Amino acid sequence: MLKLIIPTIMLLPLTWLSKTHMIWINTTTHSLIISSIPLLFLNQTNSNLYSYSLLFSSDPLSTPLLMLTTWLLPLMIMASQHHLSNEPPSRKKLYLTMLISLQISLIMTFTATELIMFYILFETTLIPTLVIITRWGNQPERLNAGTYFLFYTLVGSLPLLIALIHTYNTLGSLNIVLLTLTARELTDSWSNSLMWLAYTMAFMVKMPLYGLHLWLPKAHVEAPIAGSMVLAAVLLKLGGYGMMRLIPILNPLTKHMAYPFIMLSLWGMIMTSSICLRQTDLKSLIAYSSVSHMALVVAAILIQTPWSFTGATTLMIAHGLTSSLLFCLANSNYERTHSRIMILSQGLQTLLPLMALWWLLASLTNLALPPTINLLGELSVLMAMFSWSNITILLTGLNMLITTLYSLYMFTTTQRGTPTHHTNNMKPSFTRENTLMLMHLSPILLLSLNPSIIAGFAY
Amino acid sequence: MIRRVLPHDLGRGLLTRRPGTRRGGFSLDWDGKVSEIKKKIKSILPGRSCDLLQDTSHLPPEHSDVVIVGGGVLGLSVAYWLKKLESRRGAIRVLVVERDHTYSQASTGLSVGGICQQFSLPENIQLSLFSASFLRNINEYLAVVDAPPLDLRFSPSGYLLLASEKDAAAMESNVKVQRQVGAKISLMSPDQLRNKFPWINTEGVALASYGMEDEGWFDPWCLLQGLRRKVQSLGVLFCQGEVTRFVSSSQRMLTTDDKAVVLKRIHKVHVKMDCSLEYQPVECAIVVNAAGAWSAQIAALAGIGEGPPGTLQGTKLPVEPRKRQCKPCPHLSLQQEEPDPANLEVDHDFFQDNVWPHLALRIPAFETLKVQSAWAGYYDYNTFDQNGVVGPHPLVANMYFATGFSGHGLQQAPGVGRAVAEMILKGRFQTIDLSPFLFTRFYLGEKIQENNII
Repeated sequence: MLKLIIPTIMLLPLTWLSKTHMIWINTTTHSLIISSIPLLFLNQTNSNLYSYSLLFSSDPLSTPLLMLTTWLLPLMIMASQHHLSNEPPSRKKLYLTMLISLQISLIMTFTATELIMFYILFETTLIPTLVIITRWGNQPERLNAGTYFLFYTLVGSLPLLIALIHTYNTLGSLNIVLLTLTARELTDSWSNSLMWLAYTMAFMVKMPLYGLHLWLPKAHVEAPIAGSMVLAAVLLKLGGYGMMRLIPILNPLTKHMAYPFIMLSLWGMIMTSSICLRQTDLKSLIAYSSVSHMALVVAAILIQTPWSFTGATTLMIAHGLTSSLLFCLANSNYERTHSRIMILSQGLQTLLPLMALWWLLASLTNLALPPTINLLGELSVLMAMFSWSNITILLTGLNMLITTLYSLYMFTTTQRGTPTHHTNNMKPSFTRENTLMLMHLSPILLLSLNPSIIAGFAY
Repeated sequence: MIRRVLPHDLGRGLLTRRPGTRRGGFSLDWDGKVSEIKKKIKSILPGRSCDLLQDTSHLPPEHSDVVIVGGGVLGLSVAYWLKKLESRRGAIRVLVVERDHTYSQASTGLSVGGICQQFSLPENIQLSLFSASFLRNINEYLAVVDAPPLDLRFSPSGYLLLASEKDAAAMESNVKVQRQVGAKISLMSPDQLRNKFPWINTEGVALASYGMEDEGWFDPWCLLQGLRRKVQSLGVLFCQGEVTRFVSSSQRMLTTDDKAVVLKRIHKVHVKMDCSLEYQPVECAIVVNAAGAWSAQIAALAGIGEGPPGTLQGTKLPVEPRKRQCKPCPHLSLQQEEPDPANLEVDHDFFQDNVWPHLALRIPAFETLKVQSAWAGYYDYNTFDQNGVVGPHPLVANMYFATGFSGHGLQQAPGVGRAVAEMILKGRFQTIDLSPFLFTRFYLGEKIQENNII
């Protein structure tokens, strides 16, 4: 694992010692090369855990997320080039430092074997993200957004620390492998219920679950493009990853305790999808659609069947790429018109046809068109939820319908329609932007050929 | 800000604030410090705007989708219709920037407030007809919860136009156009005129046209306040400041016949606060120029007219302020010479020399007329063809005009506001087609002559 972490740490001196005109080229190329390293972890003979050292390991759950994280860093750097072009070089380097340190903590989080190390790095990821949102965001509301983001996540995760330390005291070790083998059953009692809540609350806030999702629209909308990309693609998946690690030791209490959260996530899916239909701000629409997709993941993890775990991991990867792609498209619009409102930039298909292709593919993957991995994930979750309880099909089916509605609404509002006069001298799409969109889409399309890579350990 | 406390100034006392110090910080007394700390704590709590470092509540927001320069009746009308025609509530953020909140020199407040449909251009007639229906139903259009209804004091008394022998044919064809569009105008011979208005001297009059309905005068200040109130309730932000600069980017492009043009796009508007050097750059997608008599200045800031004369690049916005004087009695506007527009002082001799002879001739009862009071206001006079400029500029892609109406801006404001909002939101004029009023006519030289200029 050091073969991944040390090069990522060395990206820091690379940014600071690069010449001014080579900052972007150096960091993008080197992070792209680093993103090929997690591919080495894919071939796993033992589905339990592939241990590299006492501290780091990877398994079929964490490897796809690791690949997503490392693939995303060059894309984030490419996306930030335009809005940082007017800043002095030291500030550009500082921004890249924030992104790279976030990347280091994320890699170590996904590969941590020991849960306390996971917790510490989980909290560490908050700091660079907070700096990115509050320092480089666009609107004055970003300070409010940063406060919401920080305090929601912190308050959710402090009980997790207490629960982990208690478990360490009782069990003697917090190694992921040993945990499933030596954990005692959580019987039905008040204190165990509180313990269950303490374990899961941190991840529920991160996912986010519907009632605790208030930080997400603010943080996603106010963050600069790289911040939005990393938030939507990776940081939400931290919640899913943590829950999937901890859920096996929370039995059999989960059978009772999970009900309110499953209900909240099912209801929340429909609520947030319906909010998307009424949104006028493009980034806000994509943020709420993130909440809607992740609610499916929450419900899937809580019912703990093999197919639902498969669906949850597939959906996390698919949603990460799709959401990040949508934010990049919204940003390309924003850089041209300086407004996030959809109706002010309509009819773009006639002005930027290639970008319209990316918009179409992004909307189609967002609404889970077959045979993309988005559909595989959603369908697995749907079927698992149906076998768990027949009635859920009404809610999840309704959600798929509303998802289709708002995805197509977003597409037709921005691309179709008569172009207004103030969009007539938009700059044509840059090669950098087209590369960015292609690099988002090609994993999604190629993975539909072999989705077993991302299907997790229950496949 | 670090202020150095000089030891020999301690004699002034701790409670007096020295001139030039900012509020807050070291120079406050105990109660002031406590309230500053309480304010800072309240601003950190969620739900409040976070102004920890600097108090920016007096500045406009850093971002607004549409910035309307000028808060008179045309600017407010554009803001109102933008909010009415947006497909979802709260979609567009609109900022209205007005230099003078007392409207002391604005054309709206100083206007006579007349509305009439007796124009020769069908577009002008349509605009006035729509405005008349807007004014009649103003309490449905501009209703605000818990606010008293508006009393516009609309007196639909009508406008009377007199024509001599040589103009009678033109008047008749004008009335035909007006009737086709839907205005109710009656044509009268001199006898009918004498029957209706016995106090008029009909010597030399061949034909008269009188508006039967929807013509008259109303209170423009009431309309302005009503629009202001409604627009604020719809969520439009107001800012008192002056637009001093546009930050824009330009691109050199080739037209279809290989001529180079420079297309511009405005990115930010610098709004300067009153009596201070402080300014706020507002990032915006669209700028609407509704600055009335001073529209040419705003257009020059955007670089309109900087180029060799005779090219599209070099076509300036031909709007300039012209002073008009009003007396509170029916006035005839026969301008032989222009009064000096530098200030709004009323030239009383102007009335005696130019206006009174015509009045006394037509209405014998006015021979003993004495002016009680008078005021003056500016027209945003379009020197090209005295009709309004509406719609986008061909080269500065995101600047829209709603100005230059030369005296009939107030009566056409609702219609024009709706047309500009349609252009911004939908890309074309939908209800009233104002394409003859676009900016390109200044370059192409196509004057739209309005024969009945009032």
